[in-house]
Amino acid sequence: MTSFQSTLADEEEGIAEELAASQREISVAEFFEKNKHMLGFDSGARGLVTAVKEAVDNALDATEEAGILPDIYVEISEGRDYYTLVVEDNGPGITKAQIPKIFGKLLYGSRFHAREQSRGQQGIGISAAVLYSQLTSGKPVRIESRTQESATSNFYELIIDTDTNEPEISTEKELSAAESDLRGTHGTRIEMDLDANMRARGQLHDYVKHTAVVNPHARIELQEPGGEIKAERAEGAGLPAETDEIRPHPHGVELGTLIKMLSDTDSHSVSGFLQGEFTRVGKKTADSIVDAFRDRYFGREMRWRPPGIDSDTDLEATVVGAVSNKDATHTKVFAQAVVDAVEDAESVAYSELETLVADAAVDAEADTGTSFGDTVQKHVVDAVWTALTEDRAADVFVPVDEATTVQKDDATVRGLAERVAAKFESGPGKDRVTREDLEEYVYRAAENTEEYEDATVGETARENVADALWERMATVPDEPPLTRELADDRDAASNLLDAMASVSVMAPPTSCLSPIEADQLEAGLRKEFDAEFYAASTRDADVHGGDPFIVEAGIAYGGELEAEGGVDLMRFANRVPLVYQRGACATTDVLRNIGWRNYNLDQPGGSGLPQGPAVIMVHVASTNVPFTSESKDAVAHVEEIEDEIELAVREAARDLKSFLNKRQSMRKRQQKQDVIMDILPTMAEKVSEMTERGDVDVDDSLARIMNNVLVERELGDGGDGEVTLRVENHGSSSADVDVTDIVSAEPNAVSDGANVVEMDDEYFVKWSASVAGGETEELTYEVDADADFDLTVQGVEDARLTVNEADT
Amino acid sequence: MSETDTPKGEDARDQLVALAEQFYDQFQDGDIPRMSLPTRSKSNIEYDEDADVWVYGDSQSTRSANSVRGARKLLKSVFTVDFLVQQLEEGRSSTLRELYYLSESWDEEEAQFNDQSESDKLVEDLEIISGVKREDFHMRPEESGAKVMGPLLLREQTNRGDREIHCQDDVGQGGYQIPNNPDTIEFLENDADFVMCVETGGMRDRLVENGFDDEHNAIVVHLGGQPARATRRLTKRLHDELDLPVTVFTDGDPWSYRIYGSVAYGSIKSAHLSEYLATPQAQFVGIRPQDIVDYDLPTDPLSDSDVNALESELEDPRFQSDFWTEQIELQLDIDKKAEQQALASRGLDFVTDTYLPERLDEMGVI
Repeated sequence: MTSFQSTLADEEEGIAEELAASQREISVAEFFEKNKHMLGFDSGARGLVTAVKEAVDNALDATEEAGILPDIYVEISEGRDYYTLVVEDNGPGITKAQIPKIFGKLLYGSRFHAREQSRGQQGIGISAAVLYSQLTSGKPVRIESRTQESATSNFYELIIDTDTNEPEISTEKELSAAESDLRGTHGTRIEMDLDANMRARGQLHDYVKHTAVVNPHARIELQEPGGEIKAERAEGAGLPAETDEIRPHPHGVELGTLIKMLSDTDSHSVSGFLQGEFTRVGKKTADSIVDAFRDRYFGREMRWRPPGIDSDTDLEATVVGAVSNKDATHTKVFAQAVVDAVEDAESVAYSELETLVADAAVDAEADTGTSFGDTVQKHVVDAVWTALTEDRAADVFVPVDEATTVQKDDATVRGLAERVAAKFESGPGKDRVTREDLEEYVYRAAENTEEYEDATVGETARENVADALWERMATVPDEPPLTRELADDRDAASNLLDAMASVSVMAPPTSCLSPIEADQLEAGLRKEFDAEFYAASTRDADVHGGDPFIVEAGIAYGGELEAEGGVDLMRFANRVPLVYQRGACATTDVLRNIGWRNYNLDQPGGSGLPQGPAVIMVHVASTNVPFTSESKDAVAHVEEIEDEIELAVREAARDLKSFLNKRQSMRKRQQKQDVIMDILPTMAEKVSEMTERGDVDVDDSLARIMNNVLVERELGDGGDGEVTLRVENHGSSSADVDVTDIVSAEPNAVSDGANVVEMDDEYFVKWSASVAGGETEELTYEVDADADFDLTVQGVEDARLTVNEADT
Repeated sequence: MSETDTPKGEDARDQLVALAEQFYDQFQDGDIPRMSLPTRSKSNIEYDEDADVWVYGDSQSTRSANSVRGARKLLKSVFTVDFLVQQLEEGRSSTLRELYYLSESWDEEEAQFNDQSESDKLVEDLEIISGVKREDFHMRPEESGAKVMGPLLLREQTNRGDREIHCQDDVGQGGYQIPNNPDTIEFLENDADFVMCVETGGMRDRLVENGFDDEHNAIVVHLGGQPARATRRLTKRLHDELDLPVTVFTDGDPWSYRIYGSVAYGSIKSAHLSEYLATPQAQFVGIRPQDIVDYDLPTDPLSDSDVNALESELEDPRFQSDFWTEQIELQLDIDKKAEQQALASRGLDFVTDTYLPERLDEMGVI
C-alpha cells in the first residue's frame, strides 16, 4: 500500500512537470483561430455572411458617428480560387496610424467599455473577418481609407500575427485620388479574399434586406455573382438620434467589475466613487448606499432605553458621579444636558451616546466655561451605558412581543427576550452586531427557548424578531474604508455590491439608446416589403441588469408577401439583423408562445410561429444586448427583455387584428353589396316593366341597405341651374366626408360651409361635411344650366360609399 | 277574406300588379324594398270567433332587401308575380311544379328556385299578400282532389264543356274525381244525410264495397292522407251549401288527428284560407283512444315521435277542447295507437254494421 502510494506520488510529480513544460500563454488571435465557430465563421457559406455582416455593421457605425447618411457598397466576386469581398462606406475615414490596429488586432475597439448602444461591442468582428480571410486564402487584406479633409488615401496590405495579436503590414502606401479605388471623396474600403461559397445566399440577402429595414436612413447596395440588391434610403429618413455614453448603473455591475472600478478610480471615498463612476447616483443615493454598506460592513448598534421613573437608577446622579474634580454646579449643568439628550432620544446606541455626550460637553463648556474633556466624557459614556444596559431584557421584550403572534404566551416571549438580551450582554462591546450575528442571536435564543420553555418559535417568528430588532438598531457613524482598501478586500467589496443592490436607484437614462422609432420602422417595412398593412410599436425603455433597453416590433401583412407557410421573422439587436440560430433566440420563443389566433393569424395547434402572409420584426436596442454566444446570433432569455418583446409584438399585433377584422367585415359587406347590386336593378327593371312606369333608380335604396354614405347631386327641375349636393349617412356612426365637385362654369350663391377655388377655368367646389348617423347634409349652389360636373368624394371607404351623380 | 269575394280574373291580376307597384314606390322613395306577411307558425294562429276557424294572428314577418336572403326572396317574388300576371293575361294555367321548372329558364339566376318547396311556399305567400287564392292565379297542384262517392248530382265546368255527373250512378267503383278548383262545381240535387271523410283508401273501399253510402245515404269523401285543398273546399261546400253534417273517420294516431284538424280548423300553412277551406262543424268519428280500449283493438306501441306529436297537440290551440285533452291524455296513458283497418279484427263487416252506426248514433248524426 505504502509503496504503491509513493509510486503514485512520483508519477504525479512527473506528469505535473511534463504538463508544465507544455503549458504556455495562448494569444487571443490563436485562440480564435481554433474557435472561429464562436464568431460565426464555422463554414465557408456562413463565413462570407459573417464577414459581410461585420464589415457592414462597422461601416454603419462609422458613418453614423460622423453624422453622415450611410452609403454602403458590398461586392462579392468569384475568383479562380477564392471569393473576393469588398465593402466600402462613405464614412469619415480612419487615420493612418489607426488602420492597422483596427483591422489587424483582435479585441481592439472603442466600444467595449462604453455604455452606449452601438452595433459592434467587443472589437472582434472585423478583425475576425481579417483573420478568417488570411487563414483560408493565405492572402493579406487590402484596406484603403481616406479621411474627410485629406486629398490622398492610405492603403495597407496586412495580416494578423496570430502569435502576438499584432498587425503584420506587408504594404503601406499613400494613394492619390486618381489611384484610389474609393467611390467617394472619403470613406473606407476593405477588400479581402476568402474561401467561401454562396450556399448561404438566402441569409446574405436576408441580412442586407433586413439591415435596410431597420436602417431606413442608409443606402445599401449588394452586388454578388447571382444578383443584386439596391436598398434605397427611405424618404425623409434622418440619422438615428445621437446616443450619449452613460456610466454603469449601480444595479448593473458584477463583483469583478466593481473591484476593477474601485482600483481604477480617482476617488478616495466610497461616496465620491459612487457619485463619480455610476449613473443616477447623487449625494442622497450615495449616502443611502454608504449607510447600507456600513450596516453590512460594520453592523449596527442596538439602542437601549434610559431607566424608567420607577427605576432605582438616577441617571443624573450617575453622570455627576462619573465626573470628578469639576465645579459641582457646572457638572450638574453638564449632567442635566446629557440626561435631557438621552431622554429626548428615547433610546440610544453606543455611538449615538458618544456623540450626545460630546455635544453636551460642548454646550456645558459654552454655558459654564468649564471644559469636560475626553477622559471625563469617556467616564460619563461608560457610566450612562451601564445604566442604559441595566435591563436589556425589558427593552428587547417590546419588539419581540410585537413581532411574535398573540398565541405566544408571555413566558415564552419573556424567555426569548431574556435570552436575546443575554446574547447582547455577552457579545462584543457597544452592542454592535451585523445582521448575520443578530440572526444568530435570535436563532440561539429561540432554540434554547424551545428547549427550556417547551414552546415553539418557528422560522417566521425568528425572522420577524430579527427584523424588528434590526429595525431598532442604529447605523454606525464609522467612516467606511477608502476605495483602495475596498479594492483589496473582496469581502468588503462584496458588501458594497450588496449595498448597491439593496438601495433603489432610478432607472438608467435612455439617452444612450437610439430606437428606430415606430414611424421609421414602418417606413423601413414599407420600403422593403410590398404589403397591404403595416404596424409598428416602440416600447418605453426598461432595464435589465443595469443596462437600459428598448424593444420595438413591426408587422407587415398581406399584399405580395408569401401566403404559404410560416410568417417571416426578422430579429434585430442594436439595428443588426440576426440571421442565424433563430431557434435559440428569446425573440422566437416569445413569438411562439403568443396565441396568434387571437390576432386573427393562423397558428396550427395554437402554438408556434403563426402562418400567413406576414413579416414580423423585433428590434432589441440596449447598451448591452445579452446574447447566447459570442457570435451574437440569438438574444439570451432574459425575463425583462422577453416581457418587453411580448408587449411590443402584442401592441403591433393588435393593430393587425383590427385591420384584419375590418377587412373581413368589409369583405362580407362587399360580397353582400355585390349580390344586392345584382338583384336590386333587376328587380327594379322588372317592377317598372310590370307597372308600366319609367325606370327607377335603386341607389338610394342600396345606400340604405348597405348603411352606406350616399352622395348625390341633384339638379333643379326648372333648368334654373340650381345644384344640390346631398350627403345622406345611412350608417349608424358619423361620417366625415370631403366632397369636391369640379364644375365647368363659375358657381354662384354657394351655401355656407364650402369654398370655391378656380384652376384652369374649372371651379373646385370643396366641402367638408361631418354627417351624423342617419342624418343628411346639403350644399347648394347655382350654376349655368349647361355646366359639366365631376364629383369626387373622400373620407369614406369605397365599400361604404355610393355616389350618385345626376346626369346633366 | 270571405269565401265569395276573393279577387278573381282581372282583379287577381290587378292585385299582383299592385304588389309590383308597392316595390316601385319603395325604390322611388329610396326605401328598402320589403313586404310584410303574417308569421306562419303555430304561435301565430288564433281563433276567429265570427268565422269559427283558426286564422293567422297579428304577428307579422317582414321580408326586406336588407339582407342578401331577403333580397333574393323579393327578387323571386317579383319574377313569380310577373309570371302569374302573364299567365292570367293569356288565360292559361300551370302546376306548381311547372312554375318550379319554369324558373330555370329565367335569365336572372338569383331569381331561380332551389327546390319546389320554395316556389310552393312563395305562391302561398303571394296568396296571403294579394288576398287572391292560388286557384285564381290559375296555379294547380300536381295531385288533384280525392274521390267522392254518394247520392249527389252535380254539374262541373270542364274544358270540354259542362258535365252533369251523379256520384253513384255515373261513376265507377273509384268514385267522382274532385277537380282542382271545386268552385267550378255546381250542386244540383242530393239525397244525402251526411258526409263521411275517410282517411285511408283501404277503408273507403271497404265502406263502398259494403254499400255504406247507399245504406246510410252518406257521401263518402276520400281524404288520402293530408287532404288537398280541393278536397277540403268541396267538403266545406257540401256542409255550407247542402247543410250536411260532416264527419271525419281516421286512424287512431296523432298524425290522423291533424288530418281531422285541417279539415275542421284549417292548417297552419294555409290559415289565411281557413275561412274558405275549413269546416269547423266537422265531427271526429274515430278511431278514438277510447275505441282502442272499448273495442280492444289490435295496436302498436307509440313511437317517440308519436309521443312528441301528441304532446305538441296538447299545446296546439286547435286542440284545446275537453274532448281532445281527454283523448290525447288517455292515449299517452295507454301508450297505444290503432289503424282504421284494425276494426277488421272483428270481421270485415264490423265497421259498417256495428262500429260506425254505434258511433254516428252516439254523435247524433244518424
